Amino acid sequence: MTNSGGITIDGVGMQFDGRQGVTALDGIDLDISAGEFVTLVGPSGCGKSTLLRIVSGLLEPTSGRVDVSGKTPNQARRDVDFGFVFQEPALFPWLRVLGNVLLPGRVLGRRNPNKGPESAEIARELLRDVGLEGFENHYPGQISGGMQQRVALARALSYGPKILLMDEPFGALDEFTRDRLNLQLLDVCNKAGSTVLFVTHSIQEAIFLADRVVVLSPRPGSIARIADVPWPKPRALEIRYEPEFAALTGELRGLLTVEDEVESAMNQP
Amino acid sequence: MSDTRERRNIANALLRFLPSAAVFVAGLVAWELWVNVRDVPAYLYPSPSEIGGELRDEGLSLAVDDLRWTMIEAVLGFLLGSGAAMFAAVVFVHAKFLERVLFPWAIVLQTVPIVAVAPLLTIWFGFTLTPKVLIAALICFFPVLVNTTKGLRSISTQAVELMSILSASKWSIFWRVRIPSSLPYVFAGLKVASSLSVIGAIVAEFTGADRGIGFVIIQASYRLDTRLMFAGIALSSAAGVLFFNVIGALERLALRWPDARLDR
Repeated sequence: MTNSGGITIDGVGMQFDGRQGVTALDGIDLDISAGEFVTLVGPSGCGKSTLLRIVSGLLEPTSGRVDVSGKTPNQARRDVDFGFVFQEPALFPWLRVLGNVLLPGRVLGRRNPNKGPESAEIARELLRDVGLEGFENHYPGQISGGMQQRVALARALSYGPKILLMDEPFGALDEFTRDRLNLQLLDVCNKAGSTVLFVTHSIQEAIFLADRVVVLSPRPGSIARIADVPWPKPRALEIRYEPEFAALTGELRGLLTVEDEVESAMNQP
Repeated sequence: MSDTRERRNIANALLRFLPSAAVFVAGLVAWELWVNVRDVPAYLYPSPSEIGGELRDEGLSLAVDDLRWTMIEAVLGFLLGSGAAMFAAVVFVHAKFLERVLFPWAIVLQTVPIVAVAPLLTIWFGFTLTPKVLIAALICFFPVLVNTTKGLRSISTQAVELMSILSASKWSIFWRVRIPSSLPYVFAGLKVASSLSVIGAIVAEFTGADRGIGFVIIQASYRLDTRLMFAGIALSSAAGVLFFNVIGALERLALRWPDARLDR
């Protein structure tokens, strides 16, 4: 299992049945190496979330194939190689914060690499890393949306997945919370060494987080541009005010058609 | 400190209850005045004080000899009907085909007037517990079935996707996601069923029994003993309210997370 955590997407297309037979994705080619942080950015309806679901084996593509470290997405999913953070925190309201982070371990049972008391220790440490120390015994209904999303992140990392898939996880949060979570995310992912595929419709967020930004244009969803992000990690929020950052932002935004630019600008926080 | 908070909570609860209690008392007073002022025949419209006297004299023996049996029938019927309904709901959720075939019949079962079925069951099973328990079970079945089915289906797509990412088994999804998500709905159904079950038992007693509150009421009606009828009505409603609140207490124990209860 060489290149453990790498992903190769080869000519992937996705067609949804329906009255018009919508083509959500068309001819996507992308190589992601282990430990890389790749963001997918584009306006609504460009198939970003669909691509995440194809990579994780939740959806079967209508054409092309995906290789996850020598396995099909379904095999990788069965081996629990993925962590997934959704748009909504999707926490279980009847479990306390710690219980939610421990849930994957309980579901995995013997397949969980972190066993016994060790798993509880790891869960507590992850909660500390995302700044939720002292909230272990709160119910999700008692904490804010941003805190809930941080619990979801800790939950996704709790069983040490090789690949972390994130579907607009911070889209519903205010700018300040989002900034703080971006920093924590970089920190936590760096520590875990996981490969990250992160979907967002904020170009700024996409650049700030990524080693590489993949710009998707819609109808049908296809890759408009793959841009390398030069700033070394760890990064400070201030890099966003550097002229090169603004130039890259402008360049990527220019790739999207005028109509979609309005749409994506409206989606910015 | 928690002691004072406890006391404050109790005081708040009493305060909240006060308006409804005041309406009740006002109704009783109006009734008493009406009976006395208009001089209506007492054998038709006994006054609250007369009913109170009846309850004082006969209440204990009514409760021990009759209400006890009515409640045993109601509780057994509740357990049987709710249990069967939960089982059916689990089957429905896992076998859509069976739901399509059987659910229309559950609706038919629900629309059959139990007042019409009760005499039939009495013919079949005689003056035993069985027809009463069956009628109570019948009346409990539908609300629990509908609520439990809805509850078991109330899981979000993302919860399913999360479990799929963890390659969880069907059993694990059922146990860890479906059951807990369904609980608020299940309890909403159980609360409805708990009050209905007492009604079911009493209706079944009307059609053939030698004990029970329904038996007492129907016997009293033959003798125009309205005081005893009212006493029976008051006792059985009190028991129904008590049963409802027992289920409500169990609900509070089971649903501890914030905003879990549907009717709050």
